[in-house]
Amino acid sequence: MMPAGLQRALLTVAGAVVAVLIAVAVSSVAILAAGASPVTALQAMFDFGDTQIQVVNSVTTLLNRAVPLFVAGLAVAIGFRMNLFNIGVEGQYRIAAVVAAFVGSQFDLPGPVQILLIIAVAMAVGGLYALIPAVLKVTRGVNEVIATIMLNYIAINLAAFLVRGPFAGERAEGQLTTSTPELPESAWFPNLNFLFEMFGLPAPRGGGLWGFLAVAVVAGLIIWLVLERTRFGFEVKATGLNASAALASGIDPKRMVISAMVLSGAVAGLIGLPEILGRTHAYGSNFTAGLGFLGIAVALLGRNRPGGIAVAALLFAFLDRAGAPLQFADIPPSVITIIQGTIVLMVVIANEVTIRMSMRNEERRAARQLATTNQAGVAA
Amino acid sequence: MTSSDTLAAAPPAVELEGITKRFPGVIANHDIRITVAPGTVHAIVGENGAGKSTLMKILYGMQRPDEGRIRVNGQDVDFRTPSDAIASGIGMVHQHFMLADNLTVLENIVLGAEPKKAGGLDAAGARTRIRELGESHGLRVDPDRLVEDLGVGDRQRVEILKVLYRGARILILDEPTAVLVPQEVDELFGNLNELKAQGFTIIFISHKLNEVLSIADAITVIRRGTTVASVEPGSVTARQLAELMVGSELPTPETRESTVTDRVVLDLDGVTVCGSGDRPLLKDVTFPVRAGEVVGIAGVEGNGQSELIEAIMGLRTLDGGRILLAEEDITAWTTLRRREAGIGYIPEDRHRQGLLLEAPLWENRVLGHQTRVPARKGIWVNRAASRKDTERIMREYDVRAPGIDTLALALSGGNQQKLIIGREMSGAPKFLIAAHPTRGVDVGAQAAIWDHLRTARAAGLAVLLISADLDELIGLSDSLYVIYGGRMVARLDPNQVTPEELGGYMTGAIAEGQA
Repeated sequence: MMPAGLQRALLTVAGAVVAVLIAVAVSSVAILAAGASPVTALQAMFDFGDTQIQVVNSVTTLLNRAVPLFVAGLAVAIGFRMNLFNIGVEGQYRIAAVVAAFVGSQFDLPGPVQILLIIAVAMAVGGLYALIPAVLKVTRGVNEVIATIMLNYIAINLAAFLVRGPFAGERAEGQLTTSTPELPESAWFPNLNFLFEMFGLPAPRGGGLWGFLAVAVVAGLIIWLVLERTRFGFEVKATGLNASAALASGIDPKRMVISAMVLSGAVAGLIGLPEILGRTHAYGSNFTAGLGFLGIAVALLGRNRPGGIAVAALLFAFLDRAGAPLQFADIPPSVITIIQGTIVLMVVIANEVTIRMSMRNEERRAARQLATTNQAGVAA
Repeated sequence: MTSSDTLAAAPPAVELEGITKRFPGVIANHDIRITVAPGTVHAIVGENGAGKSTLMKILYGMQRPDEGRIRVNGQDVDFRTPSDAIASGIGMVHQHFMLADNLTVLENIVLGAEPKKAGGLDAAGARTRIRELGESHGLRVDPDRLVEDLGVGDRQRVEILKVLYRGARILILDEPTAVLVPQEVDELFGNLNELKAQGFTIIFISHKLNEVLSIADAITVIRRGTTVASVEPGSVTARQLAELMVGSELPTPETRESTVTDRVVLDLDGVTVCGSGDRPLLKDVTFPVRAGEVVGIAGVEGNGQSELIEAIMGLRTLDGGRILLAEEDITAWTTLRRREAGIGYIPEDRHRQGLLLEAPLWENRVLGHQTRVPARKGIWVNRAASRKDTERIMREYDVRAPGIDTLALALSGGNQQKLIIGREMSGAPKFLIAAHPTRGVDVGAQAAIWDHLRTARAAGLAVLLISADLDELIGLSDSLYVIYGGRMVARLDPNQVTPEELGGYMTGAIAEGQA
């Protein structure tokens, strides 16, 4: 018989695959309704270009998009693991990004130190901003969903104010947007274009493959270790599965809420850094928004596990990138949004179904086991 | 009313023939055959998990059998919903009362079968009918009282009235005495006898054999999902009946020689907990628990037992008094520190406080021990050692499951409980709280659990036993206290006390100070 854990994992993967397939089927209907052919749409989505350089550029776009989505998914998942809904990742990463970008531009140290300092500032700001709803929850019982949603509004507008006011850098002639002062070159994260060159491929155009990818991978590994292997991770899981049992087992719920929330916020602080350190080198008023909300969907799709979140981030990035080729094929890119929406919905349903299936499975296995041992007992 | 001649000629009130019900992987009922004569009390006995509840759900239309036939008064029936069963004159009194506390008795009784007059509720008509029903069956309850003001016995009478109001002639009572103290049981039996005399048929489900023997006219024993015997109450003893139920020799909760030492392990000194109401939840509770001693706490549920446990575990702050563990004041300690200092806890509701149902067994082994060896190694969870130790627990405590990676929810109640006991006994505890340790477990597991408690007691463990099972309390305890209204009202000698006497203290019928 297959080990119980492996069987559960396979079932989970199968559920996610079925969910994606159903979502594609539902989206096909939407594409047909929009007057286009689903087959053409699918071809367009998988069209990475004709020449080597085009393919390299497409892959780079996809990975660069996946990195912040992955980090956002991690941040959300830390809270989700203990039924703590940190909807405030959006606000936490924006406020962290603007502060880190400004602080980083104020001094010029050797490369690694400069970058580490910026990362530390971003994590500290994100963590502190997440501390507010955590403290409100443990001292006053304020629901963290409401608190973080409200704090999002504050953070988004505060960031907009800061970048126009106190943190604004010099605006170049003819530029319409404002941004923080540009980071010194020591803070420009080296790109990973050598990965392409290693395989004899041309380097992508523009900023290239963001070096922050490496940081994200390390962060994913660390968070996996923390959640799956440490005492703290066990306490997070126990609190999420059964809060009263956790309490009776000596796990302090207040300490758990504070630490999980702050950790979630600190990771959220990293979301904006790939873009700032890798391409824009400043926080501008047109900085990428909405990553925190997408992170909720990514975490959900990845079942709150770092491995799953990586796959989910790649899938979302793949769909995002497909917007442009779809437009060239005369298919409205809003189809992508429909696919993303249906995937999330289907995954939620598939999760429920697979969880029930695996529980029934478990019960059946246990019952079978008991039946055979009983018979053995009778025979003996 | 009915003469014995007509009784003999009448078809059976209920006839179950070859009832089989399968759930995925398990057979809940297999070829069940029961014939219930009209105008009798027919008891169905079997241990927990034997399939009694499934059978009653089938008879009440909540589940449909995969095979077999049901006949009511000689007619074949096919129940799809409980309404079909009610229409055939079958009524069910559930073990857990299904009453709305904030409604009156009358409103509860008519709920779902409201008599209408001019579009509104015909309260006057309903009141008259309820009074009549009450008078004629000896079930007197004031229809206009709020259910929340009623005691347990009265609530049960309301449940019975509810069923009679709907015209039931066949009553199913599922473990009706589980929530009653001995005096209330006597009253219930009085009511049942009166109903029987008026020609009602009563199906009485229980595993309390002395009660079954005193009330039933016929007994059917269910074991592992099938009917194994039909006996007359006059022809068997409780012990023989129990052995039919279990299919083997029966365990007893009795402990042999005393192992009590004079070393006090846990000392409660004037423990007081004020709730939000006027009366304190715990008032001036003082007692010691010595090494090798089992201290039993008897009481009707809701008299402060939960608060007492929470106070000892550090889940509730005291408003007065002190708690000492091995002469150290632990009153201000956190739950974690108390656990680390050697307090083990078998919770009253294992699903709520004792297990992570969706986690594998080995992670459940870590729960509560996450800061101690073998579960901990620095900041890490020591997976290898935890898994290995879970295997040890499964072996030593006979936890039957496919393996340590099985999810806890897949285990039967008894096996879950054995896992918890094995876990709480790990790491050499000094003091153990055992709250209803054998609640909802089968007789086999019950015997094993009692054995483990006795072994631990002999090894010098101090145990606080809280239970609703009076036989268990009397059998296992070295000293016995009664808690009533948050106060310790009596200290009794378990070798002398009878269940009736204990029931008197528990309901407050015998005032304190007489002991």
